Amino acid sequence: MCGIIGCVGREDETLDVLVHGLSKLEYRGYDSAGVALTGDRLGICKQAGEIEALREALEARTLSGSAGIGHTRWSTHGPPTDENAHPHQDCSGDVAVVHNGIIENYQQLRDGLVSAGHHFGSDTDTEVVPHLVEDELAAGADPETAVRRAVARLEGSYAIAVVVAGSDAVYAARNDSPLVLGVGDGTGAAEDADAPGTGEGDGDAAADGQAYYLASDVPAFRDFTDRVVYLDDGEFAVLSAEGCRVTDVDGNTVDKPVDTVDWDPEETGKSGYDHFMLKEIHEQPRAIRQCLRGRVDEMTASVDIGDLGDLSPTGVQFVACGTSYHAALYGAQLLREAGIPAQTFLASEYATSPPPIGDALVVGVTQSGETADTLSALREAAKRGARTLAVTNTVGSTAARECDHALYIRAGPEIGVAASKTFASQLTALNLFALGTTRTGDTRDVIAALRELPSDVQQILDDSAAEAIAETYVDADGYFFIGRGLQFPVALEGALKMKEITYKHAEGFAAGELKHGPLALVTSETPVFAVVTGDDEMATKTVGNVKEVEARDAPVVAVTDGQSTVERYADHVLDVPETHPRAAAVLANVQLQLVSYHVADKLGRSIDKPRNLAKSVTVE
Amino acid sequence: MSIDTAVVLAAGEGTRLRPLTRNRPKPMLPAANRPIIEYVFDALVAADVTRIVVVVGYKRDRVQNYFGPTYRGADLEYVHQHKQLGSGHALLQARAAVNEPTLVLNGDRVIDTNIVCDVVEEFEATGDPTMAVLERPETSQYGAVVLHGGDVAELVEKPDSDDYRLINAGVYAFEPDIFAEIEATDRQEGELALTETISEKLTDGRVRGVRTEGMWVDATYPWDLLAVAEEVLARGHVGGTDRGDGVRVDPDATVHGSATLQGPTVVGPDCEVGPGTVVGPDAALGQNVTVAANATVRRTVLDSDTRVEAGSTLIDAVVGQDVHLGAGSVVPGGPADVRVGRQVFPDQRLGAVIADRVLAAGDVSFSPGTLVGPRAYIGTSVRASGTVAEGAEVVR
Repeated sequence: MCGIIGCVGREDETLDVLVHGLSKLEYRGYDSAGVALTGDRLGICKQAGEIEALREALEARTLSGSAGIGHTRWSTHGPPTDENAHPHQDCSGDVAVVHNGIIENYQQLRDGLVSAGHHFGSDTDTEVVPHLVEDELAAGADPETAVRRAVARLEGSYAIAVVVAGSDAVYAARNDSPLVLGVGDGTGAAEDADAPGTGEGDGDAAADGQAYYLASDVPAFRDFTDRVVYLDDGEFAVLSAEGCRVTDVDGNTVDKPVDTVDWDPEETGKSGYDHFMLKEIHEQPRAIRQCLRGRVDEMTASVDIGDLGDLSPTGVQFVACGTSYHAALYGAQLLREAGIPAQTFLASEYATSPPPIGDALVVGVTQSGETADTLSALREAAKRGARTLAVTNTVGSTAARECDHALYIRAGPEIGVAASKTFASQLTALNLFALGTTRTGDTRDVIAALRELPSDVQQILDDSAAEAIAETYVDADGYFFIGRGLQFPVALEGALKMKEITYKHAEGFAAGELKHGPLALVTSETPVFAVVTGDDEMATKTVGNVKEVEARDAPVVAVTDGQSTVERYADHVLDVPETHPRAAAVLANVQLQLVSYHVADKLGRSIDKPRNLAKSVTVE
Repeated sequence: MSIDTAVVLAAGEGTRLRPLTRNRPKPMLPAANRPIIEYVFDALVAADVTRIVVVVGYKRDRVQNYFGPTYRGADLEYVHQHKQLGSGHALLQARAAVNEPTLVLNGDRVIDTNIVCDVVEEFEATGDPTMAVLERPETSQYGAVVLHGGDVAELVEKPDSDDYRLINAGVYAFEPDIFAEIEATDRQEGELALTETISEKLTDGRVRGVRTEGMWVDATYPWDLLAVAEEVLARGHVGGTDRGDGVRVDPDATVHGSATLQGPTVVGPDCEVGPGTVVGPDAALGQNVTVAANATVRRTVLDSDTRVEAGSTLIDAVVGQDVHLGAGSVVPGGPADVRVGRQVFPDQRLGAVIADRVLAAGDVSFSPGTLVGPRAYIGTSVRASGTVAEGAEVVR
């Protein structure tokens, strides 16, 4: 939900580094932002609105300091206002805090602080933290101890970073919210990056010293270093010019491994597209290739998904949210086809009312690996003794580290808040999971179809009629999506995409369910997108459902490979290449992505940063 | 005054390469198994260029998606030429992105890095606008250059005699004032040619022409891609791990133990090469190509995602992307008289040109010199010849 950045050791460049980092984190939240820099007095600037508003506010200020923290916010407590923007301060103004997560006992803490005479300036849960630190400092504690004691009183999820006047350090703590450290040199190293400190002739600052960064996600400081340390829950870190020290709950120093991230910082550029989402839709052939690379062998009909070991699950429970939930619905179907009992649960429901697990493998599907609801469901399953697997895009993420096994979808960074390429990669990876853990008769056919996916997707991208269809129906009252079998999750995903980026009403249904209620909503002003591929009994039945809506004068857009008779009842057709049913779901989804994108574009929506949404939702 | 910026012109379709350009511009056609423009980028990176502005237009998605925002550490920035109105007009689109000395190159020809380095060196030594000049017999195709002691004396577009020996290699270095000069140039039939602007510069200033040599290969017609592949294969300018004797196989390709690879040949990532196959010499397999059991592929370019089923024979073939050639397909090879529209190109060493997404069901044979348009369907046991139109269905 929110994004945190911190840095020490960059001398005069601190502010530039923080603002640059915030711009890279904007996908996590963008309704207010702020920074705090150290010194004898703290320098603070915060502003409602996107990072650009903060940038403008900073132009009138001269903030400097050798350490600092920053925050970009997605509101949970209190509306997006200047007051509610982070960093938050104590009464004296000598403590500043940024926070991502939810402090569950904040009301109780706040009541105690208010009655002790503290004055609160915001509606946020976060503001209790600086006041707690203030009390500890007043009691004579040094800054590190003060922050440590304050954090110890918090319940809930948090990644917190604190600066204190008179101390050139950043104090940080993590519990259930992502926080990663970066280790670089004082020059802002990265050799090929276009970022502050890497431009012409400013290599004077602390050239020999070390610089340390902390952030909710690696892209925030990837331009400066590729060496990272992933913090674990309960850990506490102090970053200062002298070094970076990580300690556990009890204060014992922890020797953390330094990992190297291998992706290129500039993968997060828009490469000529108006929106990240369109770029990411077009990247799907490449993303699918990466997902499959080295993992399938058509000649021997074999799949190699690395060190997952022999999972041979006797049952599988998927937990996921949003787009990942739709991918999980598809994944469960693949396993059931192979005779393995498999179910899919909304992670937020599973976490609070889990079903009996038995000896099922519990699989969490999460792009970021940080989705709080999914992590919570996985932890609940682990607590009950279940084996867990994370299907994720993010190496080193919490889900990947906490689960017994991880399967990476290898889609590369996705910046658009509405998931596109990662859905295609999730479906591809779930095929690998199903093939790798089960035995079915048509393994070679499925592998061949997967290998053809990149070019089949490319064919859709080359020839899609989606933009013209979007033009026709941009003013519709609402949009319905229907599909059966493996195309049912695609119908749900098509509707979700439409909601997310066009702000228009859209619903996806199992094709057979339409007549049991939703048909009452269907009018001549509500186009129905019918996904019908193949020519089997399933397709024939869906064509029957299409006739039902056609008879109610609803415009019909068929997404089809032309094998069934659906085109006869359709006003428009979106073609997909003929292929295996498993691959057909990926292809149909690409057409629906394009329709939603073009409708949103024609409506002038904020496609990459839809209102009220954030990319990875790290609160429950 | 060092140069670290380049503008690469990649907006044109390259209509003479139809039907291969149905889905992508000429710079994205394969030189062996990598896009032509990738060699241009390689040459620039080797010459220490760190920022490349790519002018894209026709089917620009294909360029942007393939390369993304960086190439081997160089930043790629894309600018859009909406209508293809000449090379000068194309360069002009980069104006807002460039305010320093810059290289300018065509993105549709394979070049060697020393051509770039020679231009940079001359430009840095003299500070004058500089262009690369090559000694080639085919001046009429590329425009001739007349030099006087290192200065360009004359540019001759479409020369009608063979008296000229030097051609314009399409590699330039300019100060940013080139943009204003292009704008001041009169349009010819609505188009702005960069060479027109340079010719005007000759009258009121000096333009250096640097004699250079090195690999410089161009494809004018589809079958030229075979010669281009031969040239880059011979020089080993392809990816993959060298297995000796000019055989290069990507680490992410699977080659069956009983397959015979004959160099020079290259097998791209994700390829599967089946048992009993004979691949090469002069075969180039793009990414994710499948060559099934007992197939023979010689002096042939197979572009990405193409599948050649069991027992097929392909000789002298240029095969586009995502083509399926069913079991027992045969391209016996050239020479042939190739017909393009009303023009006949006699005695070309061409088996067949098979454009993107063609589906040949099986037991199909292609007469020498056949051109098959994109998405054509060719039924079992058909003997295809001449020209097969885009999307056509040919059955027996």
